[in-house]
Amino acid sequence: MTWWEDIVAGTRAELGSYTFTKDEIIAFAREYDPQPFHIDPPAAARSVFGGLIASGWHTVAIWMKLAVAHNAKQPGGEAAPMISPGFENLRWLKPVRPGMTLHYATEVTGKRALASRPERGLVLTNNEAREADGTLVMSFTGKVFAPRRQTGG
Amino acid sequence: MSPPRYFEDFHAGQKFTFGGYDLTKEKILAFARAFDPQPHHLDEEAASQTLLGGLSASGWQVGAIAMRLCAEHLLNHTHAAGGTGVDECRWLKPARPGDILRLEVEIVAVSPHPRRPVGFVKMAWNLFNQREKVAHIVTTPIIARRSAGA
Repeated sequence: MTWWEDIVAGTRAELGSYTFTKDEIIAFAREYDPQPFHIDPPAAARSVFGGLIASGWHTVAIWMKLAVAHNAKQPGGEAAPMISPGFENLRWLKPVRPGMTLHYATEVTGKRALASRPERGLVLTNNEAREADGTLVMSFTGKVFAPRRQTGG
Repeated sequence: MSPPRYFEDFHAGQKFTFGGYDLTKEKILAFARAFDPQPHHLDEEAASQTLLGGLSASGWQVGAIAMRLCAEHLLNHTHAAGGTGVDECRWLKPARPGDILRLEVEIVAVSPHPRRPVGFVKMAWNLFNQREKVAHIVTTPIIARRSAGA
């Protein structure tokens, strides 16, 4: 278990990489973002994007998939659940096309105590997906709750 | 069906409501297995012991459902060319198996591009279940084409 008190701003973790396939892009978008440039290759070719691109919600869902896998590998036994009140400043900076590989990372940028909830604190993170050459494709500010040690007394 | 909307068809304060979306346990489990395989999204027993107090959908699925309702009912009937992000997303209450979700889209601001024949439409999405508001999402402006006559 990682306690809020032990989390240090500046800590960075590489979460791994993911290659987007055409079939997965279309399957996700049919369910969650059925715009022509996400689900229909000929229509996508005629669109401003010039070809099929992944839903931005798909790009960020893969961040979650890799973050959960990373969290589960942390030392100290059972991983604390990642429960979040929301996020801010999610930016899709470059279209994600079939065959693209993105490298995901997370970095702790700050912590906030919660006056109304002494049993947990908030951790703020900056999260990114980049291409191998470093081009930033997606970023957002994450917020996640972490349990606090009971101080007793 | 009415013809597709142009930029000029939007104005600040306009509201649209779409839905409902049947959030089944199967849909919650399928999304969680693929993208958010944590016990509180996969297992009733484990979920009851977390601060969510029972099985609930991944917040990313909640956001994606709002996207789906907006795409299906509004953006696919607009001369729209995509969005670039989300300024703010707040997950206010858990979305549970059996919830029927509806999306209220409010147009927050509209502004024409200074040179090109497009405009920017900024939206707030409020997603509700049968009881209460589940999520509040403020998008970055989507780009919509201006009508040829404008």
